[in-house]
Amino acid sequence: MKGIIFNLLEDVMNHAHGHHAWPDLVDSAGVSGAYTSLGSYPDEHLLALTDTAAAVLGLSSADMLRWFGRSAMPLLATRFPQFFAAHRHARSFVCSVNAIIHPEVRKLYAGAGCPHFHFTDRDDGALIIAYQSPRRLCPLVEGFVAGASDHYGETVAMEHLTCMLHAQPLCRIAARWPA
Amino acid sequence: MHAACAAAVPDCRTVAGMKSARIDLPDPLDARIGQLQRQLARERKARQAAEAIAESGLRDLYESNRLLALLQRITDCANATDTLIDALDFTLGEICAEMGWDFGNAYLVHSNLEAIPCDCWHVANPDHLMPFVEASHTASFPSGMGLPGQVVADRRAHWIDDVRTDANFLRRDVAIACRVVGGCAFPIMAGGEVVGIYEFFSRRSISANACVIETMAQIAIQLGRVAEREYTREALLRDALHDPLTTLPNRVLLHERASSAFSRLRPDQRGLAVMVIDLDGFKAVNDKFGHDAGDCLLVATAARLRDAIDECVGGESVCRMRDADHQRANKTRATLARTGGDEFVVLLENIADEDLPVTIAASLLAELTLPFSIGRDEVAIGASIGIAQSNPTYRDYDEVQRDADLAMYEAKAAGRGKTVTFTEALGTEVRQRMSLERDLREAITEQQFVLHYQAILDLGTSTVLGFEALVRWNHPRHGLIAPNDFIPTAEETGLIVFIGDWVLREACKAIGRLQTKGRDRNTPLFIAVNIAPQQFLQPDFVPYLRAMIMETGIPAECLKLEVTEGVAVLDAERTRRVLEQCRDIGIRVGLDDFGTGYSSLSYLHSLPFDTIKIDRAFVAALDQSKSRKIVRTILDLAGDLDLTVVAEGIETAEQQAALTAMGCEMGQGFLLSMPLDEAAAFKLLP
Repeated sequence: MKGIIFNLLEDVMNHAHGHHAWPDLVDSAGVSGAYTSLGSYPDEHLLALTDTAAAVLGLSSADMLRWFGRSAMPLLATRFPQFFAAHRHARSFVCSVNAIIHPEVRKLYAGAGCPHFHFTDRDDGALIIAYQSPRRLCPLVEGFVAGASDHYGETVAMEHLTCMLHAQPLCRIAARWPA
Repeated sequence: MHAACAAAVPDCRTVAGMKSARIDLPDPLDARIGQLQRQLARERKARQAAEAIAESGLRDLYESNRLLALLQRITDCANATDTLIDALDFTLGEICAEMGWDFGNAYLVHSNLEAIPCDCWHVANPDHLMPFVEASHTASFPSGMGLPGQVVADRRAHWIDDVRTDANFLRRDVAIACRVVGGCAFPIMAGGEVVGIYEFFSRRSISANACVIETMAQIAIQLGRVAEREYTREALLRDALHDPLTTLPNRVLLHERASSAFSRLRPDQRGLAVMVIDLDGFKAVNDKFGHDAGDCLLVATAARLRDAIDECVGGESVCRMRDADHQRANKTRATLARTGGDEFVVLLENIADEDLPVTIAASLLAELTLPFSIGRDEVAIGASIGIAQSNPTYRDYDEVQRDADLAMYEAKAAGRGKTVTFTEALGTEVRQRMSLERDLREAITEQQFVLHYQAILDLGTSTVLGFEALVRWNHPRHGLIAPNDFIPTAEETGLIVFIGDWVLREACKAIGRLQTKGRDRNTPLFIAVNIAPQQFLQPDFVPYLRAMIMETGIPAECLKLEVTEGVAVLDAERTRRVLEQCRDIGIRVGLDDFGTGYSSLSYLHSLPFDTIKIDRAFVAALDQSKSRKIVRTILDLAGDLDLTVVAEGIETAEQQAALTAMGCEMGQGFLLSMPLDEAAAFKLLP
């Protein structure tokens, strides 16, 4: 996992729960805690941190990840405004992740294992986001989509049609942005 | 103490204030924590700044590596590619893939005037884009017009941020319909000129950062090198295949085209013709006015020939179309080539009308009849034209060309301004002549000639006065060949000079052997030798005669030369000089075949002959009074001019009696003696 994700988690935790939150979390999770955006760190560190935070905050691991993704989006918008400026709606922003955002991520962070999303338009107007990753971070995906919608002042309704967390081969998330 | 105490204790307010200040002071631990927190915040800020710097550097490095790799791939391709189009084909695809641009397209530019399509384009994402692609890869743009035209005019790259707002973007409507947003175009330079343009379009705006601009410029340089190599190769090829003076195709290109045309002939092998044009009188102009004038004349001649051919064929005589275009066209095509100093060849393909070559030849000759101006002078030249048309007997083009050459030589031999079309009969005749010529050359080196001698008698006393040496060719396969069957060819080919020299030398040797026979005679025996005009007019003829006489040691008066009027016709003044020089040496000279040719009295009068020979035709017709009168007149004339007379071809006793009666002193003929080999002939002597 890229260090940027740990930095984002640090920022959102401190922002929401005070500047002791992160050092407390690092200590409780028993991870090294020294993360730079340019480095790569074991996935277990992130899961240890989010699971620990979930336990302290009384959330499920999935909800913790959803919250993290949603909360991280404004920070990303500050850090990488160009990705957001090219879009006027969350839907097109989300759809640009494979073609623009991930290639850019790879430029900065050599060896980044970005997931590939597959997008299809459903007849009823919903966007079907297919996701497959051994990390099984689909709740984080939901969080990012929700955060992106917040950014564009939109509301989004998401429904997991299939989910790897339920032993299915991939996740298919139906996202609907009411007009 | 009190005072000191009072001074040391602050008032309560002050104390209170002090106390309050003391309370606000951070205790050492808190202060340390606060300091550490500030330090941590600074460290985090510094780390984030460092990360931002590193990220920016990484992004630039990534971009530049990517563009360098792109440039490297294109450079590798450019080094391995021969044509600009091939290099562009690869480049457009690579750039579209690397830059994420949707459509790349190329144009060629000629003379900095117009960007013309070259059917070289790449679509990364054809969805909805094809109308724009169609509008782009078939369009031409004059300098200044549209995106490509602007690049041609300014000789630099142009970027369009948004096609909807660019006033000079001519494909705007279709671009908008295809949701094209951004575009850019770059010049390809070779030898200081824009030779090509490549342009790209994307459904997103295209950012013109310095790294991309630099990469595109570097790619353009690589493409420019390919173009330069291509042009250099083309120029070399052009130089190798064209005559630099007239810019016409040369022999190599003609042969290439002709061979290719021959191989494409219809099954009946007809429809192709070759015309060989040899200028008449060009050498004289060259000699008189110099080579520069000669060159000008050739250029002017080439232009006239080209115009005349264009008019007849109705197209370009020097075809510049691609071969593939040609096969489609299937119309009559003419290629005018310069194949030698003053020799041109016209190759005609797809001829429907068999008379076309003759029509063209007439038109060419007519075109050349008007004089050419060289400086202030006017010169006239002509041409001899040989034509050969393809037919099923030809196995390759070279055979057609060979027969056209042969026909041209026939035309040349027939005089200026003639056209000869090759026929089988002509071919046979010429081949026989050529075979004879080959054999003659061999006969000269192999010394296959022999001399026979026919006695010349005193008609009154029937005593032998001398002999006429007659050459025979002892052919290894055909046996003895009479002079009439080979002398004309020897004369045409100039070989007569070599044969004549041999005859003269052999005759002189024979005179030497004859001396032993005629020692006790009053008048020495002579041998008469026929001298061909060409031999007689050789510059070293008299020195050769002298050398022969010195070499063989014979008395000069024993050698008698016989020439025909032909020498005088060729060069009367020179003939007179040579005759006089012969007489100075002591050699006697007779005029052969008198009465058959011009028989000009002025020659008889002005040229110092010793003898005249009455032609056999008059002798044979002596029974007719007309002939008798002529013979009598000749004899009278000879008497008046103090010339001796020999009558040849005496075959009957009546002829001998008649001639003797008319006062003819000498004669020869079958009646008196057949031509015999030396031994037999000399036995006639007592």
